[in-house]
Amino acid sequence: MDGHFVPPDVIEVEGLVKVYGRKGGTRALNGVSFSVPKGDIFGFLGPNGAGKTTTIRILSTVLAPTGGTVRIAGHDVHEDPMAVKERIGVMPDEVSFYPTLTGLAHLQYYASFHGIPRAAAKRRAIDLLGQVGIGDVARKKVKTYSHGMKKRLALAQSLLHDPELLIMDEPASGLDPQGMRYFRDLIRFLNGKGKTVFLSSHLLSEVEQLCEHVGIIDRGRIVAADSIANLSSKMSAGAPIILHVTAEGITDEAIAAVTSISGVTGATRTANGLDVTVQSGTDVGPDVSKALVLAGARLKELKASERSLEDLFFALTKGGRV
Amino acid sequence: MKAPAFLRGLVPVGWHEFYVNLRSVRMLIMIIVLALIMVGGAYGIGRGSSAGGPSIAPLVAWVHPAIGTSGEHIAVAWVSDPFGVPLPGATVSFTDLSVQPPAPLGTTSADADGFVRLAVGNRSSIGITVRTGNAESGSGVFFDRPVENFTVETRQEALDTDSVPNDLGVHVLGRAGVPVAARLWLNDTYVKDVDSRGYGRLELPLGPSNVTIEVAGENQTRAVFTSKPLPSPFFTVGPDFVLLIMAAGFATFVIPIFAVVVTFDAISKERVQGTLDLLLSRPASRVGTLLGKFLGTFAAVALPVTLVNLAGIAVLTAVSGKGPTGSFALAFLGLSLLLIAFYIPLQLIFSTLAKTSGTAILFGFLVWLAFNILYPVITFVLSSVLFPNSFQAQFQFSQVVGLGNPSSIYTQLVTFAAPEAIRFSFGGGSTLSLTAVASAALVWFVGMLALAMWTFQRKAAE
Repeated sequence: MDGHFVPPDVIEVEGLVKVYGRKGGTRALNGVSFSVPKGDIFGFLGPNGAGKTTTIRILSTVLAPTGGTVRIAGHDVHEDPMAVKERIGVMPDEVSFYPTLTGLAHLQYYASFHGIPRAAAKRRAIDLLGQVGIGDVARKKVKTYSHGMKKRLALAQSLLHDPELLIMDEPASGLDPQGMRYFRDLIRFLNGKGKTVFLSSHLLSEVEQLCEHVGIIDRGRIVAADSIANLSSKMSAGAPIILHVTAEGITDEAIAAVTSISGVTGATRTANGLDVTVQSGTDVGPDVSKALVLAGARLKELKASERSLEDLFFALTKGGRV
Repeated sequence: MKAPAFLRGLVPVGWHEFYVNLRSVRMLIMIIVLALIMVGGAYGIGRGSSAGGPSIAPLVAWVHPAIGTSGEHIAVAWVSDPFGVPLPGATVSFTDLSVQPPAPLGTTSADADGFVRLAVGNRSSIGITVRTGNAESGSGVFFDRPVENFTVETRQEALDTDSVPNDLGVHVLGRAGVPVAARLWLNDTYVKDVDSRGYGRLELPLGPSNVTIEVAGENQTRAVFTSKPLPSPFFTVGPDFVLLIMAAGFATFVIPIFAVVVTFDAISKERVQGTLDLLLSRPASRVGTLLGKFLGTFAAVALPVTLVNLAGIAVLTAVSGKGPTGSFALAFLGLSLLLIAFYIPLQLIFSTLAKTSGTAILFGFLVWLAFNILYPVITFVLSSVLFPNSFQAQFQFSQVVGLGNPSSIYTQLVTFAAPEAIRFSFGGGSTLSLTAVASAALVWFVGMLALAMWTFQRKAAE
């Protein structure tokens, strides 16, 4: 990893394999390994069908792995599932509930699994429903809830027993911008209170805003697991850099002058000016500006492109296949 | 109190299942269907059985040929209830049967002692009809044999509570058609005298007996025979038989439907609506979760079924005038629960395997169809092919093969519980021992529940 001090890992996944069906069945996970340090918000990314949901279901003790080990807070999900279940709060992608029960009844039902006494469970449920902003519909049947309300109820149920690890599958999917911001803020808040968050999401911008570390899975294998910064610099190493030039009056002579600079491998016109391809490790920005100005162009801006998480994702998953 | 780890989740899941199922629309529908069939059946058949009427006629005409002082024929009728109590005022009609068409000879009323006498000249065949209210009874008097110094009429019936037709009513009149002192002997042992109206009743032992009537030193001996009653038509057997029809005829079909309708999607619905993963990620063992599902749905079905069954028995008791045998009624209530307990684990297995609601419904329907229609039909066809010449062997074969069918096990157990007199009257009865059938029941239930747990453990999340 970084080489710095690494806190104890809350999630440790080693060589995880999952084959659906009998021998020769679908191999959903093929030796997945990654770890999530305590207190982290870990982004888990991958195209559809890459194995994200299967991994989450194994972490949640719902599905038994075919091979490999998964430890959560030091407990093996297969050997000691009860200890794991007590420590995780799961917010599934599909927020589905029993349509004829109220939000409050749901939380009371789920609380009964954790041995929370009835009266305390009711108090806690009412508190939580208030905290997630659906206290006013606590006694209404879930079938009358909007998608956003169900998402909030899903969050509330995952927090009932104050778990140390939150496993969230697409928490912001289907939400309006306010709802997405609400969830983002809440995840930061919970993380601030010491909870580790394992966040699977399709919304790369959201992951980029929230997570320091990410794991990217593709075709049942982890193709990258590191901090976003490290991944970005690793991916950039050796790769050409694009300089986006915004300018007017770029003549063919100007382009010829730019391409003659040592380290520049190409230049193409764009709507606003010019994209200049530069070999990695060379700092030719000043030379390019100078050449353009000398050739009579009116230079407005020159910016080196940064590799976004989206670029990384697409590069690592061979086009994303979302 | 904390449940052992392997049972964790049983109580929450059980309560949840019970609560959600009891409040479901399908539960309401099934209760109405069950009540219509069980309570309605009890009312309809029970009422039908009482409309069939008691087997004992409410009035009896004891008719005698008598000879008047001038040698004329006198037709005598003494009208009483079956126990020898006279019915004064009963309407009595006389008809001359020796002409065609029979000619009415007159109608009169029985006197204070229940007697009616009519001089009929030299006519030899007289029809006598007696009536009180709606009840009517008829008999004939014939003068074609020499009239002795006394005449005797007998009637053998089941008049007391033992249900055995061993009560012999005897009515004796002198040659002149009036009561005389008469002594009654049974198998050469003096028993009693007839009363002042000529009536006496003897209780006969099983088997053949000789009954001797002695009047003024003159004897007349009659051979009589008493046997245990054969299975009677149901309307004479009463509420036990109606309950047998309710248990073996109705409950055996409708209770499995009830269990299937409530359980068919107990697990598949959670999968389809997306609540299964949330449930499985809770601190609950798979065994505890499945047992909770079983106990919750079982209780949710058992409660209304028992209440409806009790209502059926109550209605049956009300319309028949008496209740079914207590032990049989209790066994029926218990065996209904067993029938529910047979079908729920079976349905839980299929509900675990079904990936969609459609498949779950199909599995539910097929399970019911398989054990209530296909299995019996295939067994019947096989038994006919294998044992074409022996009904006994076919019956035995069906019962042995039936041990693989929960509905058949239930029916066999019901017939074991039924009173002996009606046990074989509904295609029931068992050639197997109670131990064998009860063991099959236990194996079925435990086996299916274990298989349901195994399936749930292996397949719930896949």
